[in-house]
Amino acid sequence: METLFKKFMAQFEGRVLNVRHCHGIPVANVAKEDLSMMARYIHQDKAMHGTLSLLWAVDHRPCEDRYELLYLFTLRGYQEWMVLTIDLGGEERVFPSITPVIHAAQWYEREIRDMFGLIAQGHPDLRRLVRHEHWPKGTHPLRKTYAWNSVLTREQGEYSFNRIEGEGVFEVAVGPIHAGVIEPGHFRFSVAGEPVMQLEVRHFWKHRGVEKLFEQKLLTAGVPLAERISGDTTVGHALAYCEAVETLLGLEVPLRAKYLRCVFLELERLHNHLGDVGAICNDVAFTLAHAHCGRMKERIMQLNDQLTGSRFLRGIIDVGGMQVDLAPQQFSQLIGELDTIQPDFTELEKILAVNASLKDRLETTGLLKVRTAWDHAALGYVARASGMDRDLRFDRPFAAYNLLPVKVPRYQEGDVRARMQVRIDEIHESMRLIRQIQSDIRPGPIRVEPTTMPQPGDWALSGVEGWRGEILYFVMAGEDGRIHRCKIRDPSFVNWPIIQQAVMGNIIPDFPLINKSFNLSYAGNDL
Amino acid sequence: MFKMIKKSLKTATVTGQYTSDSDNAPPVQCTAEAKRKAKPFRKSLTIREVDTGSCNACEMEMNALTNAVYDIERFGVHIAASPRHADALVVTGPVTVNMESALKDVFKTTPDPKLVIALGDCAINCGVFRDSYSVTGPVDRHVQVDIRIPGCPPKPTDILNVLAELRRS
Repeated sequence: METLFKKFMAQFEGRVLNVRHCHGIPVANVAKEDLSMMARYIHQDKAMHGTLSLLWAVDHRPCEDRYELLYLFTLRGYQEWMVLTIDLGGEERVFPSITPVIHAAQWYEREIRDMFGLIAQGHPDLRRLVRHEHWPKGTHPLRKTYAWNSVLTREQGEYSFNRIEGEGVFEVAVGPIHAGVIEPGHFRFSVAGEPVMQLEVRHFWKHRGVEKLFEQKLLTAGVPLAERISGDTTVGHALAYCEAVETLLGLEVPLRAKYLRCVFLELERLHNHLGDVGAICNDVAFTLAHAHCGRMKERIMQLNDQLTGSRFLRGIIDVGGMQVDLAPQQFSQLIGELDTIQPDFTELEKILAVNASLKDRLETTGLLKVRTAWDHAALGYVARASGMDRDLRFDRPFAAYNLLPVKVPRYQEGDVRARMQVRIDEIHESMRLIRQIQSDIRPGPIRVEPTTMPQPGDWALSGVEGWRGEILYFVMAGEDGRIHRCKIRDPSFVNWPIIQQAVMGNIIPDFPLINKSFNLSYAGNDL
Repeated sequence: MFKMIKKSLKTATVTGQYTSDSDNAPPVQCTAEAKRKAKPFRKSLTIREVDTGSCNACEMEMNALTNAVYDIERFGVHIAASPRHADALVVTGPVTVNMESALKDVFKTTPDPKLVIALGDCAINCGVFRDSYSVTGPVDRHVQVDIRIPGCPPKPTDILNVLAELRRS
């Protein structure tokens, strides 16, 4: 491991100010002026082939009067991580933008500007992102000087959308409140005739200040909040949070708990993927599949309820292990249920495969090219349907996945059909994994109690492959076991800008279908 | 064709097997006032769902109500695409600063008489997001709430129970 990081160090010998390892992840502190050049090297060098996975800032006050910006790169093969950091001391408020070099940095840098008031110099688009136009000027909630329970006042202001002008070009505004039972978000289409020329996604209607709320919590008390970041990814977020905190506290979770975590993560993947396959079919008016997938999803949800007392698997994962154990007969009940669902689903799959009108609507719709996906550092099934072979369960195994080799499906087509096919393959894979866990799992303890306190300023990064894709958590410890900073990255935050590319050239009536094939979380994106 | 007939003859009912567990269900909070307001909608109720900042679990449960297992349409309850067509607004989530004016607009566009149902703990008391800088308060701070359905999220059966209670009035 770390061969690529060594290559990076050899390339920039003498220019890297300081190197350290933070819980196994190499961290290189560099000068502000060198950042763009180094980022370009990591991104474009054939051997490094790095994608930007996360970009975030930390306000070190009151301990030190400086801001730190951290850039997490996933290097070639998606197995190796490295972090670049730069410091902004004293009154410095400007840092060099890497968006001109790495497209994936675009929203991160706008977010940092909104939340910290740090300005990315050279960024092509410095409009507000999180703060809507009515927020007062100078409100930067993640600065340590900003009180978490402040009351915001209102100002007048107007957001300017990207405009295409010309004869026959008109705009279609959709949202924030949509026709379906879904979350709020605004979409602005520019169309001339039928095809979409441009889509601008405007989100953050549901911004609830989650990252600031975390800073008021003890490290061991953050799970309920993490579970409510995006309800459909309850287990994914809770697990990612716990993994980060457990690394900080130096806890070794018992093996049985690790296996149980995998079971519940796969159950969550199952019910969401089943729902999605049905919903995609429903968007092209193929309601038979929707009805069947709906009832299969409901069976899994009811099973969740019977096994844990929560349909969304809430309150079962905790720092140090599990709150809920599964008895052998519960395992048999679970496998029995899967045994009845799987043949039903396989039968449905055959119907889907031969339906010509369905094929006609799904194929070549919402095309996301391999190159575009890579440029935007796409995640989850979106990436896997566009030729990117990334899945954290395989690349950087967490929980018990080092003992459970995962078969990662991959398609090159990048259309709605491919994204549905990835889900179908993953449904079967999840069922196989659960069966394997049942035969591998051994009795044992399911939790350990934390004994140590982390040093203030110590931090950990964790990644979990939720059903939607890679969930990242950065947790930095503060005084007395509190959280100094918690950065959350739901895969939706990365995949939303990509949808703008995928709808280009499609007709507006296909947008709901494309949107459903991405099925991104608004809550996880807005935080 | 014959294969399909054979299949449908061989397969028992695959839906309709939800447990109503009425012992554990939270008590239905329907005031006399709410029941009076719900009277015109006893046989047909059209709902518009408005998310003002929930975690999307409440939305999933609302969607579950329309699946083949719960099938809320059999009680004459429909989900409308626009607030202009709605008799009742179902509001989920704490009201965020960015959604506050959208909620008020929706309330204004919904024709009278109307019901407002606050769905889930967040809509009732902001839940884990209470006092955050970007949360302006529970739903009843902005619009008058008639019915509250607690839970995080409330189960589909809980929602059905409340709607059944309203019909009974």
